Amino acid sequence: MPYEVKEEKGKDGRKVFLIQKENFLELMTDLRKQGYDHLSLITAVDFRDRIELVYHLQKSESNFELLTVRTVTYDSTIDSVSSIWESANWDEREQYDMMGVVFKGHPNLKRILLPEGWVGYPLRKDYDLSKNQYVNMDDEGNDRVSFDPGDGW
Amino acid sequence: MGPQHPSTHGVLRLKLLLDGETVKNVEPVIGYLHRNAEKICELDYYCDSLIYFDRMDYVAAMNMEIGYLEAAEKLLAIEPPERVKWIRVVMAELNRLASHLVWAGAFGLDLGMLTPFFYFFEEREKILNLFTEICGSRQETNYMSIGGVYQDFNDKIIFKIKQFLKQFPKKMEEAYSLFIKNDIFISRTKGIGILEPEVALSYGVTGPMLRASGVPYDVRKDAPYLVYDKLNFDVPISRGKDVLARCIVRFEEMRQSVKILNQALDKIPDGPYFNPKAKKSLMIRLRGEGDVYARTESPKGEFGVHLVGDGTVKPYRLHVRSPAFKNLSILPYLSRDVLIADMVAISGSIDLVFGEVDR
Repeated sequence: MPYEVKEEKGKDGRKVFLIQKENFLELMTDLRKQGYDHLSLITAVDFRDRIELVYHLQKSESNFELLTVRTVTYDSTIDSVSSIWESANWDEREQYDMMGVVFKGHPNLKRILLPEGWVGYPLRKDYDLSKNQYVNMDDEGNDRVSFDPGDGW
Repeated sequence: MGPQHPSTHGVLRLKLLLDGETVKNVEPVIGYLHRNAEKICELDYYCDSLIYFDRMDYVAAMNMEIGYLEAAEKLLAIEPPERVKWIRVVMAELNRLASHLVWAGAFGLDLGMLTPFFYFFEEREKILNLFTEICGSRQETNYMSIGGVYQDFNDKIIFKIKQFLKQFPKKMEEAYSLFIKNDIFISRTKGIGILEPEVALSYGVTGPMLRASGVPYDVRKDAPYLVYDKLNFDVPISRGKDVLARCIVRFEEMRQSVKILNQALDKIPDGPYFNPKAKKSLMIRLRGEGDVYARTESPKGEFGVHLVGDGTVKPYRLHVRSPAFKNLSILPYLSRDVLIADMVAISGSIDLVFGEVDR
Protein backbone atom coordinates (compact mmCIF):
# COMPACT_ATOMS: atom_id res chain seq x y z
CA MET A 1 0.00 0.00 0.00
CA PRO A 2 1.31 3.48 -0.80
CA TYR A 3 0.23 4.86 2.56
CA GLU A 4 0.67 3.97 6.20
CA VAL A 5 -2.20 2.64 8.31
CA LYS A 6 -1.84 2.20 12.05
CA GLU A 7 -3.97 -0.56 13.48
CA GLU A 8 -5.06 -0.82 17.09
CA LYS A 9 -7.74 -2.36 19.30
CA GLY A 10 -10.56 -0.18 20.58
CA LYS A 11 -11.69 -0.21 24.19
CA ASP A 12 -14.53 -2.61 23.38
CA GLY A 13 -12.36 -4.91 21.25
CA ARG A 14 -13.21 -3.58 17.80
CA LYS A 15 -10.65 -3.05 15.09
CA VAL A 16 -9.53 0.56 14.62
CA PHE A 17 -7.54 2.01 11.71
CA LEU A 18 -5.70 5.30 12.16
CA ILE A 19 -4.93 7.18 8.96
CA GLN A 20 -3.38 10.47 7.93
CA LYS A 21 -5.79 12.98 6.47
CA GLU A 22 -3.88 13.10 3.17
CA ASN A 23 -4.34 9.40 2.46
CA PHE A 24 -7.82 9.19 3.88
CA LEU A 25 -9.79 9.05 0.63
CA GLU A 26 -7.44 6.44 -0.83
CA LEU A 27 -7.92 4.16 2.17
CA MET A 28 -11.71 4.51 2.07
CA THR A 29 -11.79 3.70 -1.65
CA ASP A 30 -9.69 0.60 -1.00
CA LEU A 31 -11.89 -0.49 1.90
CA ARG A 32 -14.96 -0.21 -0.30
CA LYS A 33 -13.22 -2.48 -2.82
CA GLN A 34 -12.44 -4.93 -0.01
CA GLY A 35 -16.16 -5.35 0.61
CA TYR A 36 -17.03 -2.78 3.26
CA ASP A 37 -20.33 -1.85 1.66
CA HIS A 38 -22.17 -0.40 4.66
CA LEU A 39 -21.12 2.91 6.20
CA SER A 40 -22.84 2.90 9.52
CA LEU A 41 -22.00 6.22 11.10
CA ILE A 42 -19.79 9.29 10.82
CA THR A 43 -18.96 11.07 14.05
CA ALA A 44 -16.95 14.23 14.52
CA VAL A 45 -15.44 14.86 17.94
CA ASP A 46 -14.29 18.35 18.83
CA PHE A 47 -11.04 18.45 20.85
CA ARG A 48 -10.81 22.28 20.66
CA ASP A 49 -7.52 22.36 18.72
CA ARG A 50 -8.46 19.58 16.31
CA ILE A 51 -11.48 17.61 15.12
CA GLU A 52 -11.37 13.86 15.07
CA LEU A 53 -13.53 12.04 12.56
CA VAL A 54 -14.66 8.51 13.29
CA TYR A 55 -16.15 6.30 10.57
CA HIS A 56 -17.84 3.00 11.41
CA LEU A 57 -17.85 0.58 8.50
CA GLN A 58 -19.43 -2.83 8.12
CA LYS A 59 -18.97 -5.72 5.75
CA SER A 60 -22.13 -7.48 4.67
CA GLU A 61 -20.31 -10.67 3.60
CA SER A 62 -18.87 -11.43 7.02
CA ASN A 63 -21.80 -10.87 9.39
CA PHE A 64 -21.51 -7.09 9.39
CA GLU A 65 -18.29 -7.07 11.38
CA LEU A 66 -17.32 -3.62 12.53
CA LEU A 67 -14.29 -1.60 11.47
CA THR A 68 -13.55 1.88 12.76
CA VAL A 69 -11.49 4.38 10.79
CA ARG A 70 -10.20 7.46 12.57
CA THR A 71 -8.57 10.54 11.18
CA VAL A 72 -7.74 13.98 12.52
CA THR A 73 -8.17 17.36 10.89
CA TYR A 74 -6.76 20.64 12.17
CA ASP A 75 -8.51 22.98 9.72
CA SER A 76 -12.03 21.43 9.86
CA THR A 77 -11.90 20.11 6.31
CA ILE A 78 -11.87 16.53 5.05
CA ASP A 79 -12.53 14.75 1.78
CA SER A 80 -16.11 13.66 1.28
CA VAL A 81 -16.88 9.95 0.92
CA SER A 82 -20.40 10.51 -0.42
CA SER A 83 -19.27 9.32 -3.85
CA ILE A 84 -18.37 5.93 -2.30
CA TRP A 85 -21.34 5.41 0.04
CA GLU A 86 -24.68 7.14 -0.52
CA SER A 87 -25.39 7.16 3.21
CA ALA A 88 -22.47 9.55 3.75
CA ASN A 89 -24.54 12.24 2.06
CA TRP A 90 -26.87 12.86 5.01
CA ASP A 91 -24.28 11.90 7.61
CA GLU A 92 -21.83 14.49 6.36
CA ARG A 93 -24.55 17.10 6.17
CA GLU A 94 -25.38 16.37 9.80
CA GLN A 95 -21.75 16.70 10.89
CA TYR A 96 -21.42 19.94 8.92
CA ASP A 97 -24.58 21.22 10.58
CA MET A 98 -23.54 20.31 14.12
CA MET A 99 -19.74 20.56 14.01
CA GLY A 100 -18.89 22.79 11.08
CA VAL A 101 -16.73 20.21 9.33
CA VAL A 102 -16.46 21.05 5.64
CA PHE A 103 -16.53 17.94 3.46
CA LYS A 104 -14.72 18.67 0.22
CA GLY A 105 -16.52 17.31 -2.82
CA HIS A 106 -19.92 16.89 -1.20
CA PRO A 107 -22.69 17.45 -3.76
CA ASN A 108 -25.10 19.35 -1.51
CA LEU A 109 -23.41 20.54 1.66
CA LYS A 110 -26.02 22.51 3.60
CA ARG A 111 -27.62 22.31 7.01
CA ILE A 112 -30.01 19.43 7.56
CA LEU A 113 -31.52 19.64 11.05
CA LEU A 114 -31.13 23.34 11.76
CA PRO A 115 -32.52 26.03 9.44
CA GLU A 116 -30.21 27.82 7.01
CA GLY A 117 -28.83 30.98 8.57
CA TRP A 118 -28.27 29.55 12.03
CA VAL A 119 -25.24 31.14 13.66
CA GLY A 120 -22.56 28.77 15.00
CA TYR A 121 -22.23 25.02 15.24
CA PRO A 122 -24.04 23.70 18.34
CA LEU A 123 -21.90 20.67 19.16
CA ARG A 124 -18.63 22.62 19.14
CA LYS A 125 -17.24 23.05 22.61
CA ASP A 126 -17.00 26.82 22.17
CA TYR A 127 -20.64 27.27 21.11
CA ASP A 128 -22.33 30.02 23.11
CA LEU A 129 -25.37 28.49 24.80
CA SER A 130 -26.45 31.71 26.50
CA LYS A 131 -27.62 33.41 23.30
CA ASN A 132 -31.08 32.45 22.07
CA GLN A 133 -31.78 32.27 18.37
CA TYR A 134 -35.32 32.50 17.04
CA VAL A 135 -36.74 30.98 13.90
CA ASN A 136 -39.55 32.73 12.10
CA MET A 137 -41.02 32.30 8.67
CA ASP A 138 -41.01 34.91 5.94
CA ASP A 139 -43.75 35.41 3.37
CA GLU A 140 -42.36 32.76 0.99
CA GLY A 141 -42.33 30.13 3.72
CA ASN A 142 -38.57 30.12 4.19
CA ASP A 143 -36.99 30.02 7.64
CA ARG A 144 -35.59 33.26 8.97
CA VAL A 145 -33.19 33.11 11.92
CA SER A 146 -32.48 36.08 14.15
CA PHE A 147 -31.35 36.94 17.67
CA ASP A 148 -34.37 39.19 18.01
CA PRO A 149 -37.46 37.47 19.49
CA GLY A 150 -39.72 39.56 17.24
CA ASP A 151 -43.48 39.10 17.15
CA GLY A 152 -45.15 36.13 18.65
CA TRP A 153 -42.47 35.14 21.12
CA MET B 1 -46.55 18.28 1.69
CA GLY B 2 -46.33 18.82 5.43
CA PRO B 3 -44.99 19.77 7.99
CA GLN B 4 -48.49 18.99 9.28
CA HIS B 5 -50.04 16.32 7.14
CA PRO B 6 -51.92 13.18 8.20
CA SER B 7 -49.58 10.83 6.34
CA THR B 8 -46.24 12.27 7.42
CA HIS B 9 -46.35 10.79 10.94
CA GLY B 10 -45.42 13.88 12.80
CA VAL B 11 -43.54 16.78 11.36
CA LEU B 12 -41.97 15.94 8.04
CA ARG B 13 -42.05 18.39 5.19
CA LEU B 14 -41.63 17.03 1.68
CA LYS B 15 -40.83 19.38 -1.16
CA LEU B 16 -42.33 17.69 -4.18
CA LEU B 17 -41.63 18.33 -7.83
CA LEU B 18 -44.65 17.01 -9.69
CA ASP B 19 -45.63 16.25 -13.23
CA GLY B 20 -49.38 15.87 -12.91
CA GLU B 21 -49.82 13.10 -10.35
CA THR B 22 -46.31 11.73 -10.83
CA VAL B 23 -43.57 12.58 -8.40
CA LYS B 24 -40.42 13.70 -10.18
CA ASN B 25 -38.30 14.64 -7.19
CA VAL B 26 -38.67 14.69 -3.43
CA GLU B 27 -36.66 16.69 -0.97
CA PRO B 28 -37.36 15.87 2.68
CA VAL B 29 -37.04 18.80 5.06
CA ILE B 30 -36.47 17.59 8.60
CA GLY B 31 -35.48 19.13 11.90
CA TYR B 32 -38.84 20.39 13.13
CA LEU B 33 -38.53 18.27 16.28
CA HIS B 34 -34.84 18.92 16.77
CA ARG B 35 -33.77 19.61 20.36
CA ASN B 36 -30.14 18.50 20.16
CA ALA B 37 -30.28 15.74 22.73
CA GLU B 38 -26.61 15.06 22.08
CA LYS B 39 -25.61 18.47 23.43
CA ILE B 40 -27.93 18.13 26.41
CA CYS B 41 -26.38 14.76 27.23
CA GLU B 42 -22.91 16.32 27.18
CA LEU B 43 -24.03 18.70 29.91
CA ASP B 44 -25.52 15.94 32.10
CA TYR B 45 -24.25 13.06 34.20
CA TYR B 46 -24.04 9.65 32.56
CA CYS B 47 -27.09 8.38 34.47
CA ASP B 48 -29.25 11.40 33.59
CA SER B 49 -28.97 11.04 29.83
CA LEU B 50 -31.42 8.15 29.77
CA ILE B 51 -34.57 10.26 29.76
CA TYR B 52 -33.50 11.96 26.54
CA PHE B 53 -33.22 8.57 24.92
CA ASP B 54 -36.79 7.76 25.94
CA ARG B 55 -37.87 10.74 23.92
CA MET B 56 -35.96 9.80 20.79
CA ASP B 57 -38.00 6.90 19.50
CA TYR B 58 -40.96 7.55 21.75
CA VAL B 59 -42.86 4.44 20.69
CA ALA B 60 -39.91 2.17 21.56
CA ALA B 61 -38.39 3.80 24.62
CA MET B 62 -37.04 0.54 26.07
CA ASN B 63 -35.00 -0.23 22.98
CA MET B 64 -33.52 3.25 23.04
CA GLU B 65 -32.56 2.89 26.71
CA ILE B 66 -30.88 -0.43 26.02
CA GLY B 67 -28.97 1.13 23.14
CA TYR B 68 -27.55 3.83 25.37
CA LEU B 69 -26.85 1.48 28.27
CA GLU B 70 -24.94 -0.94 26.07
CA ALA B 71 -22.53 1.89 25.29
CA ALA B 72 -22.47 3.49 28.74
CA GLU B 73 -21.93 0.22 30.59
CA LYS B 74 -19.04 -0.65 28.30
CA LEU B 75 -17.44 2.75 28.85
CA LEU B 76 -17.99 2.82 32.61
CA ALA B 77 -17.03 -0.87 32.97
CA ILE B 78 -20.19 -1.83 34.84
CA GLU B 79 -21.64 -5.24 34.13
CA PRO B 80 -25.36 -5.68 34.82
CA PRO B 81 -26.36 -8.83 36.76
CA GLU B 82 -27.72 -11.81 34.84
CA ARG B 83 -31.31 -11.25 35.96
CA VAL B 84 -31.22 -7.69 34.63
CA LYS B 85 -30.14 -8.87 31.19
CA TRP B 86 -33.14 -11.19 30.93
CA ILE B 87 -35.52 -8.53 32.20
CA ARG B 88 -34.16 -6.14 29.59
CA VAL B 89 -34.72 -8.66 26.82
CA VAL B 90 -38.34 -9.11 27.92
CA MET B 91 -38.95 -5.37 27.99
CA ALA B 92 -37.20 -4.83 24.65
CA GLU B 93 -39.29 -7.46 22.90
CA LEU B 94 -42.54 -6.21 24.45
CA ASN B 95 -41.68 -2.75 23.22
CA ARG B 96 -40.76 -4.08 19.79
CA LEU B 97 -44.27 -5.54 19.61
CA ALA B 98 -45.75 -2.21 20.67
CA SER B 99 -43.70 -0.32 18.12
CA HIS B 100 -44.62 -2.63 15.25
CA LEU B 101 -48.27 -2.43 16.27
CA VAL B 102 -48.14 1.37 16.09
CA TRP B 103 -46.52 1.10 12.69
CA ALA B 104 -49.15 -1.35 11.45
CA GLY B 105 -51.99 0.87 12.61
CA ALA B 106 -50.50 3.99 11.07
CA PHE B 107 -49.62 2.18 7.87
CA GLY B 108 -53.24 1.11 7.48
CA LEU B 109 -54.28 4.73 7.89
CA ASP B 110 -51.81 5.79 5.22
CA LEU B 111 -53.50 3.45 2.78
CA GLY B 112 -56.96 4.56 3.82
CA MET B 113 -57.86 1.60 6.03
CA LEU B 114 -59.29 2.73 9.34
CA THR B 115 -60.37 -0.61 10.82
CA PRO B 116 -56.99 -2.32 11.48
CA PHE B 117 -55.89 0.73 13.48
CA PHE B 118 -58.33 -0.13 16.28
CA TYR B 119 -57.33 -3.78 16.40
CA PHE B 120 -53.63 -2.97 16.63
CA PHE B 121 -53.98 -0.16 19.13
CA GLU B 122 -56.15 -2.30 21.39
CA GLU B 123 -53.28 -4.78 21.67
CA ARG B 124 -50.73 -2.03 22.09
CA GLU B 125 -52.79 -0.58 24.92
CA LYS B 126 -52.48 -3.90 26.75
CA ILE B 127 -48.70 -3.75 26.46
CA LEU B 128 -48.70 -0.17 27.70
CA ASN B 129 -50.85 -1.23 30.65
CA LEU B 130 -48.22 -3.82 31.48
CA PHE B 131 -45.57 -1.10 31.30
CA THR B 132 -47.62 1.09 33.61
CA GLU B 133 -47.70 -1.70 36.13
CA ILE B 134 -43.97 -2.43 35.86
CA CYS B 135 -42.49 1.07 35.54
CA GLY B 136 -45.31 3.45 36.40
CA SER B 137 -45.39 5.06 33.00
CA ARG B 138 -46.83 4.26 29.62
CA GLN B 139 -44.50 5.46 26.90
CA GLU B 140 -41.50 7.39 28.20
CA THR B 141 -40.80 4.74 30.77
CA ASN B 142 -37.33 5.66 32.10
CA TYR B 143 -37.29 2.12 33.47
CA MET B 144 -33.64 1.17 33.19
CA SER B 145 -30.59 2.57 34.88
CA ILE B 146 -26.87 2.03 34.58
CA GLY B 147 -26.14 -1.47 35.82
CA GLY B 148 -29.75 -2.40 36.53
CA VAL B 149 -33.44 -1.61 36.37
CA TYR B 150 -35.49 0.54 38.72
CA GLN B 151 -38.12 -2.03 39.69
CA ASP B 152 -37.77 -5.75 39.98
CA PHE B 153 -40.11 -8.21 38.24
CA ASN B 154 -42.39 -10.27 40.45
CA ASP B 155 -44.41 -13.41 39.78
CA LYS B 156 -47.59 -11.44 39.28
CA ILE B 157 -46.06 -9.45 36.42
CA ILE B 158 -44.64 -12.54 34.76
CA PHE B 159 -48.07 -14.18 35.00
CA LYS B 160 -49.72 -11.14 33.46
CA ILE B 161 -47.26 -11.00 30.56
CA LYS B 162 -47.82 -14.69 29.92
CA GLN B 163 -51.56 -14.15 29.92
CA PHE B 164 -51.15 -11.37 27.40
CA LEU B 165 -48.96 -13.56 25.21
CA LYS B 166 -51.57 -16.33 25.23
CA GLN B 167 -54.23 -14.24 23.55
CA PHE B 168 -51.96 -11.97 21.51
CA PRO B 169 -51.05 -14.20 18.50
CA LYS B 170 -54.70 -14.94 17.73
CA LYS B 171 -55.65 -11.26 17.86
CA MET B 172 -52.65 -10.31 15.75
CA GLU B 173 -53.38 -12.88 13.05
CA GLU B 174 -56.98 -11.70 12.94
CA ALA B 175 -55.86 -8.14 12.30
CA TYR B 176 -53.13 -9.31 9.94
CA SER B 177 -55.72 -11.02 7.76
CA LEU B 178 -57.36 -7.61 7.32
CA PHE B 179 -54.16 -6.64 5.54
CA ILE B 180 -53.07 -9.71 3.71
CA LYS B 181 -56.45 -11.02 2.59
CA ASN B 182 -57.47 -7.65 1.23
CA ASP B 183 -57.16 -7.30 -2.53
CA ILE B 184 -57.02 -3.53 -2.38
CA PHE B 185 -54.19 -3.66 0.15
CA ILE B 186 -52.21 -6.10 -2.00
CA SER B 187 -52.61 -4.05 -5.15
CA ARG B 188 -51.62 -0.88 -3.29
CA THR B 189 -48.40 -2.41 -1.94
CA LYS B 190 -47.18 -5.13 -4.28
CA GLY B 191 -44.38 -4.04 -6.58
CA ILE B 192 -44.29 -0.54 -5.11
CA GLY B 193 -41.00 0.95 -3.92
CA ILE B 194 -38.65 -1.78 -5.08
CA LEU B 195 -35.38 -1.56 -3.15
CA GLU B 196 -32.39 -3.58 -4.35
CA PRO B 197 -30.09 -4.91 -1.58
CA GLU B 198 -26.94 -3.17 -2.90
CA VAL B 199 -28.70 0.18 -2.98
CA ALA B 200 -30.13 -0.39 0.49
CA LEU B 201 -26.68 -1.15 1.91
CA SER B 202 -25.14 1.86 0.23
CA TYR B 203 -27.79 4.15 1.70
CA GLY B 204 -27.24 2.69 5.17
CA VAL B 205 -30.74 1.24 5.41
CA THR B 206 -31.14 -1.29 8.23
CA GLY B 207 -33.82 -3.12 10.12
CA PRO B 208 -36.98 -4.57 8.56
CA MET B 209 -36.40 -2.37 5.49
CA LEU B 210 -33.08 -4.10 4.75
CA ARG B 211 -34.37 -7.57 5.63
CA ALA B 212 -37.28 -7.10 3.25
CA SER B 213 -34.66 -6.62 0.53
CA GLY B 214 -33.15 -10.00 1.32
CA VAL B 215 -30.17 -9.10 3.52
CA PRO B 216 -30.39 -11.02 6.81
CA TYR B 217 -28.79 -8.36 9.00
CA ASP B 218 -30.03 -8.37 12.57
CA VAL B 219 -27.72 -7.11 15.32
CA ARG B 220 -29.35 -9.56 17.73
CA LYS B 221 -27.94 -12.38 15.60
CA ASP B 222 -24.81 -10.90 14.03
CA ALA B 223 -23.35 -9.20 17.10
CA PRO B 224 -25.39 -10.56 20.03
CA TYR B 225 -25.80 -8.31 23.06
CA LEU B 226 -27.57 -9.00 26.38
CA VAL B 227 -28.57 -12.68 26.24
CA TYR B 228 -29.79 -12.93 22.66
CA ASP B 229 -27.20 -15.63 21.94
CA LYS B 230 -28.98 -17.94 24.42
CA LEU B 231 -32.35 -17.54 22.76
CA ASN B 232 -33.71 -19.44 19.84
CA PHE B 233 -35.27 -17.28 17.13
CA ASP B 234 -35.11 -16.71 13.40
CA VAL B 235 -34.39 -13.59 11.39
CA PRO B 236 -37.19 -13.26 8.84
CA ILE B 237 -36.20 -12.02 5.40
CA SER B 238 -38.15 -11.55 2.24
CA ARG B 239 -37.07 -11.38 -1.36
CA GLY B 240 -40.05 -9.26 -2.38
CA LYS B 241 -38.13 -5.98 -1.89
CA ASP B 242 -41.37 -3.96 -2.05
CA VAL B 243 -43.75 -2.35 0.42
CA LEU B 244 -45.67 -5.59 0.86
CA ALA B 245 -42.45 -7.44 1.74
CA ARG B 246 -41.69 -4.90 4.48
CA CYS B 247 -45.14 -5.42 5.89
CA ILE B 248 -44.78 -9.22 5.89
CA VAL B 249 -41.32 -9.04 7.47
CA ARG B 250 -42.57 -6.85 10.31
CA PHE B 251 -45.43 -9.20 11.09
CA GLU B 252 -43.10 -12.19 11.05
CA GLU B 253 -40.83 -10.28 13.42
CA MET B 254 -43.73 -9.90 15.82
CA ARG B 255 -44.20 -13.67 15.79
CA GLN B 256 -40.49 -14.10 16.51
CA SER B 257 -40.74 -11.60 19.37
CA VAL B 258 -43.54 -13.64 20.89
CA LYS B 259 -41.31 -16.70 20.57
CA ILE B 260 -38.43 -14.90 22.31
CA LEU B 261 -40.72 -13.67 25.07
CA ASN B 262 -42.09 -17.14 25.76
CA GLN B 263 -38.57 -18.49 26.17
CA ALA B 264 -37.19 -15.56 28.14
CA LEU B 265 -40.02 -15.42 30.69
CA ASP B 266 -39.31 -18.98 31.77
CA LYS B 267 -35.59 -18.43 32.01
CA ILE B 268 -35.33 -15.26 34.15
CA PRO B 269 -32.89 -16.29 36.90
CA ASP B 270 -33.02 -15.12 40.51
CA GLY B 271 -30.61 -12.53 41.75
CA PRO B 272 -30.14 -8.81 42.32
CA TYR B 273 -31.82 -6.33 39.99
CA PHE B 274 -29.00 -3.79 40.00
CA ASN B 275 -25.25 -3.77 40.23
CA PRO B 276 -24.20 -2.54 43.71
CA LYS B 277 -21.36 -0.57 42.08
CA ALA B 278 -24.01 1.58 40.41
CA LYS B 279 -26.56 2.07 43.16
CA LYS B 280 -28.37 5.36 43.26
CA SER B 281 -26.06 7.23 45.62
CA LEU B 282 -22.94 6.27 43.65
CA MET B 283 -24.36 6.72 40.19
CA ILE B 284 -23.44 10.36 39.61
CA ARG B 285 -19.80 9.66 40.46
CA LEU B 286 -19.26 7.17 37.64
CA ARG B 287 -16.37 8.15 35.40
CA GLY B 288 -15.37 6.83 32.02
CA GLU B 289 -12.48 7.29 29.64
CA GLY B 290 -11.93 6.28 26.03
CA ASP B 291 -14.52 5.72 23.36
CA VAL B 292 -16.96 2.93 22.59
CA TYR B 293 -19.46 2.16 19.88
CA ALA B 294 -22.41 -0.07 20.72
CA ARG B 295 -25.07 -1.20 18.30
CA THR B 296 -28.40 -2.72 19.13
CA GLU B 297 -31.44 -3.73 17.14
CA SER B 298 -34.25 -1.25 17.65
CA PRO B 299 -37.60 -1.86 15.91
CA LYS B 300 -36.48 0.55 13.16
CA GLY B 301 -33.03 -0.91 12.57
CA GLU B 302 -29.48 -0.68 13.82
CA PHE B 303 -29.40 1.79 16.69
CA GLY B 304 -25.81 2.79 17.41
CA VAL B 305 -24.37 4.95 20.15
CA HIS B 306 -20.85 6.34 19.92
CA LEU B 307 -19.76 7.53 23.33
CA VAL B 308 -16.54 9.35 24.17
CA GLY B 309 -15.49 9.92 27.77
CA ASP B 310 -12.66 12.14 29.03
CA GLY B 311 -12.43 10.84 32.59
CA THR B 312 -15.00 13.19 34.11
CA VAL B 313 -18.52 12.44 35.32
CA LYS B 314 -20.07 13.70 32.07
CA PRO B 315 -19.80 12.34 28.53
CA TYR B 316 -17.42 14.27 26.29
CA ARG B 317 -19.25 13.45 23.09
CA LEU B 318 -22.25 11.33 22.34
CA HIS B 319 -23.46 10.55 18.87
CA VAL B 320 -26.51 8.54 17.98
CA ARG B 321 -26.94 6.50 14.84
CA SER B 322 -30.61 6.90 14.25
CA PRO B 323 -31.98 4.14 12.00
CA ALA B 324 -35.04 6.13 10.97
CA PHE B 325 -32.81 9.03 9.86
CA LYS B 326 -30.89 6.71 7.56
CA ASN B 327 -34.00 4.94 6.33
CA LEU B 328 -35.62 8.28 5.50
CA SER B 329 -32.66 9.26 3.34
CA ILE B 330 -33.71 6.67 0.78
CA LEU B 331 -37.19 8.18 0.26
CA PRO B 332 -36.04 10.47 -2.61
CA TYR B 333 -34.54 7.47 -4.39
CA LEU B 334 -37.61 5.27 -3.96
CA SER B 335 -40.10 7.97 -4.89
CA ARG B 336 -38.78 8.83 -8.31
CA ASP B 337 -41.52 8.51 -10.94
CA VAL B 338 -44.23 7.09 -8.71
CA LEU B 339 -47.71 8.42 -7.99
CA ILE B 340 -48.25 10.62 -4.94
CA ALA B 341 -50.44 7.96 -3.32
CA ASP B 342 -47.69 5.38 -3.81
CA MET B 343 -45.16 7.72 -2.26
CA VAL B 344 -47.37 7.86 0.83
CA ALA B 345 -47.35 4.06 0.94
CA ILE B 346 -43.55 4.03 0.62
CA SER B 347 -43.00 6.61 3.35
CA GLY B 348 -45.43 4.64 5.53
CA SER B 349 -43.45 1.46 5.01
CA ILE B 350 -40.24 3.12 6.25
CA ASP B 351 -41.66 3.40 9.79
CA LEU B 352 -40.68 6.95 10.62
CA VAL B 353 -40.66 8.36 14.12
CA PHE B 354 -39.61 11.96 14.19
CA GLY B 355 -38.36 12.07 17.72
CA GLU B 356 -35.62 9.83 16.45
CA VAL B 357 -34.98 11.36 13.03
CA ASP B 358 -34.52 14.84 14.46
CA ARG B 359 -33.19 13.92 17.91
